[in-house]
Amino acid sequence: MGRHDSGGRAGGHAGRGSQSGAISGDLVDPPTQLLTPVSAGGPPDRGRAIVRGVGEVLITLGLIVLLFVAYEVYITDLFSAGKQRDAVSNLDDTWRDEPADPQRVDHFDGLAEGEGFAKLYIPAFGSDYSFAVLEGTSAATLEIGPGHYRDTAYPGEPGNFAVAGHRVGKGSPFNDLDLLSSCDAIVVETRNSWFTYRVLPMDDERAGWAAGPGTRATCGAVTPLGGAYEDVVGREIVRPTEGSVVLPVPRRPDLRPSAGERASLLTLTTCHPKFSDRQRMIVHAVLVEQAAKDPAQPNLRPTAMEES
Amino acid sequence: MYAWLWRHLPGPLAVRLIIAVALLVGVLALLVFVVFPWAEPRLPWSPVEIGDPTTQ
Repeated sequence: MGRHDSGGRAGGHAGRGSQSGAISGDLVDPPTQLLTPVSAGGPPDRGRAIVRGVGEVLITLGLIVLLFVAYEVYITDLFSAGKQRDAVSNLDDTWRDEPADPQRVDHFDGLAEGEGFAKLYIPAFGSDYSFAVLEGTSAATLEIGPGHYRDTAYPGEPGNFAVAGHRVGKGSPFNDLDLLSSCDAIVVETRNSWFTYRVLPMDDERAGWAAGPGTRATCGAVTPLGGAYEDVVGREIVRPTEGSVVLPVPRRPDLRPSAGERASLLTLTTCHPKFSDRQRMIVHAVLVEQAAKDPAQPNLRPTAMEES
Repeated sequence: MYAWLWRHLPGPLAVRLIIAVALLVGVLALLVFVVFPWAEPRLPWSPVEIGDPTTQ
């Protein structure tokens, strides 16, 4: 082995003439060694073997870390896509099979953790953007899809319908929340109703809203909120501990208006910046339209769904 | 490490190659289906909790 090795190296030197033979020789060596039984060898060989062994272990660990990154960003998407598919078909089965409430009113009490109860559409992200929303925000639930913060309002109710979702990996439902503009529609479908929310004016748009951004066709029912809600804007970046963004009046734990005084808001929360959990990105939207589903026309959808 | 492994694989070249690929696939499957899901929630930067409802 040793002789073979040095022979190959000498040949490399001779063949390449004045080129840097040592480096190219080192690159050529390993395959030869992989296929050649190594004898006990003298001290130089043992030293080489140890260095090579350590190097191989380090390279292997590096590859495992790279694989873990790929797992976090891509492979968990595959797992979550399957779980989300199951959640959607379960929800469809429930809506189809269980006897409808004669009043056609939605009931959300008694939902179990991870149970689907609504579908979320954001037409600005494409007509195929649709996720089943599940009850609860445990890690297992958020692997399936966006999760509803328990103790916050349900779709259409006065208060704050707050939903958490992963930014990168695990289906990445809220990957593009930074691309939402004010007045973009966020449509929630429940068993009996369609609710259309629209993103509130951004912080820098509020001053000249009525004359500027607010004149867009989609902004008809959207104005900067007043009163207790005057600090609520379309998008904000907050610390991870800022759980008060999901309160009935976001960021104002001191205000607990009664149900009749509450605005109907929708809040989406996700990680920020991408690939990090250092901060949270929060999107607030306000309910602008709701329509009961008509059993005679099951395919009728809100006009906002065509805004993609 | 890999040279040592290769030397200890039995059989002719074709059999060794098949065993080596099978080992590689096995290790990858173990990582992706067992080790990574186990390790993920234990890592400090794993972005699992979104918002913090306990501070409501």
